[in-house]
Amino acid sequence: MSDKTSTSGKQKASGGKASEKGVLYVGVDLGTSRTAISASNGVRESMDSAVGYPKDVVSHKLLKKDVLYGREALDKRLSLKLFKPLENGILKHCKDPSSKDAKDNVKAAKDLIAHAVKMANARSDELVYAVIGVPAQASINNKEAIVEAARAAVDSVMLCSEPFAVGYGLDMLDDVLVIDIGAGTTDLCRMHGTMPEDSDQITLNVAGDAVDQELSKLIGESCPGAQFTIQMIKELKERYAFLGSALESAEVVLPVAGKPTEFEVTQQVHDACAILVDPIVEGLNKLVSSFDPEFQHKLRNRVLLAGGGSQIKGLDTAIEEAMNRDLGGGKVIRIEEPLYGGANGALKIAHDMPEEYWDKLK
Amino acid sequence: MTQSLQEAVRKLAFKTSIEQLQKRGVKDVKVLGLDRIVALIEEATNRSLKHRLLAGDRAAIANATKEEFLRLLKTNQDLKQSRDELQQEKERAVQDAAAVRKEMEALAGKLKIRLAAAGEEAREQFDDEDEEVRRLVEMLYQDALKSGDQGVFKERMSKLLFGMLEEKRRAAIAATEAAKGEEVSQLQRRIAKLSTTLEQTESKLSMVSSQGFYDSGVASVYREVQGLSLDSRFYDLKKELMADIFKANLQLQKGQRD
Repeated sequence: MSDKTSTSGKQKASGGKASEKGVLYVGVDLGTSRTAISASNGVRESMDSAVGYPKDVVSHKLLKKDVLYGREALDKRLSLKLFKPLENGILKHCKDPSSKDAKDNVKAAKDLIAHAVKMANARSDELVYAVIGVPAQASINNKEAIVEAARAAVDSVMLCSEPFAVGYGLDMLDDVLVIDIGAGTTDLCRMHGTMPEDSDQITLNVAGDAVDQELSKLIGESCPGAQFTIQMIKELKERYAFLGSALESAEVVLPVAGKPTEFEVTQQVHDACAILVDPIVEGLNKLVSSFDPEFQHKLRNRVLLAGGGSQIKGLDTAIEEAMNRDLGGGKVIRIEEPLYGGANGALKIAHDMPEEYWDKLK
Repeated sequence: MTQSLQEAVRKLAFKTSIEQLQKRGVKDVKVLGLDRIVALIEEATNRSLKHRLLAGDRAAIANATKEEFLRLLKTNQDLKQSRDELQQEKERAVQDAAAVRKEMEALAGKLKIRLAAAGEEAREQFDDEDEEVRRLVEMLYQDALKSGDQGVFKERMSKLLFGMLEEKRRAAIAATEAAKGEEVSQLQRRIAKLSTTLEQTESKLSMVSSQGFYDSGVASVYREVQGLSLDSRFYDLKKELMADIFKANLQLQKGQRD
């Protein structure tokens, strides 16, 4: 891309390869818990990041499918060999790529990405160009595995940092701090008008899954005999999660020795959600204090809250209060579509990427 | 009724972003609330009817018109649902057909291997028996050498032994054929059954596809690659960022290919 003229879609000569076929852009937010896509045909979908294969011939005959995805895979998990290919925001087992677990996991990741792209419902005659958001500090091995997985499903693919995609999607490229709370990781990213470097990004392992674990522990301690799975806890959290004042009390029915029993767990939900605040504020402090002193004030007052975890009611206020206490002030803005923020940003990057760049990566 | 109309208008609305509106050259947007739109529809209906009808009929016809509008909307939703169901049925049929084909291929392979193995087993058995006969004949021949009348003795013994051998062979062939026949017949029956299933599935698939509801995908709004627009906010900065993202990806993917 040498000049403005060639970058502009409006001034591009028509009749090239792409114009004969049509071009579908897809933005993908590949998350530990959920995968979301946004496409240039208006389709927006999300699914649980789970892939399952029938355990044996009997389950295969019963399910009548070779592969199941998302909620369906989770619901039928007893008949399946279930994979959640990502852990803490990265592909599992990728440190030892030659192991059987790693190979099976990569296959599951490939199927997951292919299915995510399929959800965009592209026409068969269109070129599909995808940008996939990956955690800020994903390793090279991980990125390679994700690119390999995606190549089978699209014509050309690029990766970008997930929090960067969120900021780009909102046209907030300068003096912004992005907090992207996923299931496996919370990514903090400082945007200052250039591509974020390693020193601009912090990845915390305290995220949605850690809240689930904490809530599980607290309920286990306070509700004697209650039986539950981590999936039940996750659903409970998604229904009631809050910080600050409770809008409603969290009343749940859990079996005790097989008998449904009602428990009130409002305080436990609050305490579990609260574990996010201090590590995030500590991370923000590091990113703010190592920034140009002249612009630190601006940075503190432009903190974007995104990702599935940002749906916790009152989290923005709780972070602001902690910033007031520890950093001398700050303003947190919750993005409008937490689940699709990353995918929308990735879609925008795909749209803005010049043609020759896509061609060179085919 | 007003609430139903509100719901209907909400369903007919589509979402767009400020950026897309800017691309179309829209700079200012005037916002019209849902309540106001519904009120305008009702007002327009009433005014139109006012000129043509008596007051009593007007309300009844207005209500009937609204009901008809909502009925049409529901019909449209039902049609969409039918389309989705047919699409799911088609996907199931495609998967069934693939599974049947896979099973047939596996069975055909198994049958081939079984037939080859049966032939090989029989050949090995015959070779062993021939060797045994030769050994016995040789032994008798040696005996005959000692006793004197070699020619007659050798001929008789050979005739006797080969007679016995011929009988055994017939029995063995009959047994092999019987066993082979049963297994082959079973495999052939299964293949025939699967062929019928496949035909039925393909017929169903063809029927579903011919319904005209086959979803060939949703077309992208773009016919060609876009790239940054000249009037994009932060054009220069975004251009640099795109180049940086590309370089990082080129390095990553080039390394992978090498």
